[in-house]
Amino acid sequence: MGHYYDIDDILIEEELVSVVFQKAANGVGILDPGAETSTVEQGSKVELPFWLAHELHLRQAVSVNVPACFDQKTRKEIQADAACVDLRNRCAYFYELGCKIAPLVGDKTIGALLLYAFKSRYKDVLIKAHTAAFSLAPKFMTLLTNEETNLYEAAQSSMAAFKRWRMGGARFQRAAVLGKKRRPDD
Amino acid sequence: MASGSEEGGTGIQIDEYESLISTTDVELLKRAWRHEKAAPEILQYEGALVQRIREQIQLMVETVEEFAESGIDPLTVSLYEMDLDRTQFLLRSYLRIRLHKIEKYMIHILKTDLWNRLSEQEQKFAKRCTDDLGKHLEQSVLSRLPDGYKSLLKQSTASEEDDMVSEPQLDTFVICKSKRDLGTFQLDDSGGVPVELLAGNLNILRYKSIKPLVESGQIDLV
Amino acid sequence: MYGREARQLVKELSSGENGQLKAFNSDMVDQVTKACSVHHLELQSLIRKIQEEGLDTQTTRNADHFGALIHHLALIRNKRCLMAYVYNRADSIRNLRWKVGNVLPQEIKGKLSHPEQEYFKNHDTALNLYMSALDLDLTVDFVPPKDPYIQVRVIDDIGEVFLSDKKTNLVCHSIHFLKRNDAEQYISQGLMEELMG
Repeated sequence: MGHYYDIDDILIEEELVSVVFQKAANGVGILDPGAETSTVEQGSKVELPFWLAHELHLRQAVSVNVPACFDQKTRKEIQADAACVDLRNRCAYFYELGCKIAPLVGDKTIGALLLYAFKSRYKDVLIKAHTAAFSLAPKFMTLLTNEETNLYEAAQSSMAAFKRWRMGGARFQRAAVLGKKRRPDD
Repeated sequence: MASGSEEGGTGIQIDEYESLISTTDVELLKRAWRHEKAAPEILQYEGALVQRIREQIQLMVETVEEFAESGIDPLTVSLYEMDLDRTQFLLRSYLRIRLHKIEKYMIHILKTDLWNRLSEQEQKFAKRCTDDLGKHLEQSVLSRLPDGYKSLLKQSTASEEDDMVSEPQLDTFVICKSKRDLGTFQLDDSGGVPVELLAGNLNILRYKSIKPLVESGQIDLV
Repeated sequence: MYGREARQLVKELSSGENGQLKAFNSDMVDQVTKACSVHHLELQSLIRKIQEEGLDTQTTRNADHFGALIHHLALIRNKRCLMAYVYNRADSIRNLRWKVGNVLPQEIKGKLSHPEQEYFKNHDTALNLYMSALDLDLTVDFVPPKDPYIQVRVIDDIGEVFLSDKKTNLVCHSIHFLKRNDAEQYISQGLMEELMG
């Protein structure tokens, strides 16, 4: 595992996916909120975080369902106008989860969907990053996944750096870790 | 006896000779710095080059001091100073980037042959860093976990290999440029289209696929 | 249960505003550590049950096995979150040495756990040993140089200091023309700002 300490990688795997238990499991308590005993029975449908679903899938203990964010409705919306779909609300790690889940559910169309969505949205993200007013966070930001937000911010900061370089601005800056500037005479 | 190369006379060798004299140590350092900045993993330490650069810096410092004392035109002095500053920045930045990589991948470096790419001082630093971080993680987390789960390298005793060690991501993309035509290259095992690396062309490729070219100095990272 | 608290811990890392450290959340760390022990107990009792039934723990694939497996997975997940929490904070702590120097401001120091403060000191020593072996200060020159001198305004009372062997009085609001290297640390610490011509 190359990303053992990677924060995003850990958070991606927190996304819930729905699985069906192929084997029963004893003594796991509140894993299945609907169950009356501490046993999860074979055939129970349970929502698990990806990290658990993935490992159990490897050992044939569960089968994984395609998460809702890759359902037909989302696909149709993406085909209609990819840039306007609120992916953040559906899954903040839409692309990353897609990449991780595709081999588990054996759905070959997910790859193409991700690529199409990313390509069509990326163009929009770039254009807006370079043209939108800098200070105010545009409303469309709320539609972006984490990766898209990073790209947006990267585009903006490189644009800002370019402008600073061209106009000549202060090159030395206070360390960000010290937090917001406080005027000493406040 | 290689007769032609002794005189450094004919054909291509003139080219090489010219490119050699136009390559000053500062240029070489700039290149080493660029490579170190762009490559995801730590590269071979340029010990001899760093040594030469430091001697040159020393010389420049002395020259600037002499000039300042002997009352030479302040503009000339400040030009020398700027040149000196630039070289010093390059050197510091080069060494710093390497330290950052060591800090990030210390455990990985310590147990692979990347270790041999470090200078003696860097090895000492890496050793110390690893001990300090190991101690810190031990104290803050590992010592409080159940038996079988206390390892710094393995998630549990059930893991067959060291599955907790951060490694540089060699399949990341880098921007590169070659000085001369290098022919066509099959870039990965996936059977994609081979890429032709032409002199002066900028390519965006996976680091992994051009790693040997970087190490042999045939391609520049930018 | 099942990594809920551990997730909070990791979330804390990502929600910090650009590179700012939050106070070390020792309550949460304790809770997650405790969850690890609980999983371990459950795991052991399920394995004991398998053994008591006279089955081979290596090959048995019954409901007890899968229960034990889930507890094992939850345990290594919790461990990963704990480790990532401390490891990534350690990363920020090492950066502090570069950004604010070898003495931590009180407001930052208060956010570190004791082992973290210790770690900062140890890492500082490691770095100092390296730099003195090399006889080169690497904590200056972070920005590619343009001019050897820059104009700065002092925005906090620094007082009298030696800059390039000259005694200088850095009173609040005073304006100076300083060597770039001399000014760099003060700007990074937020005690001076660069003035543009």
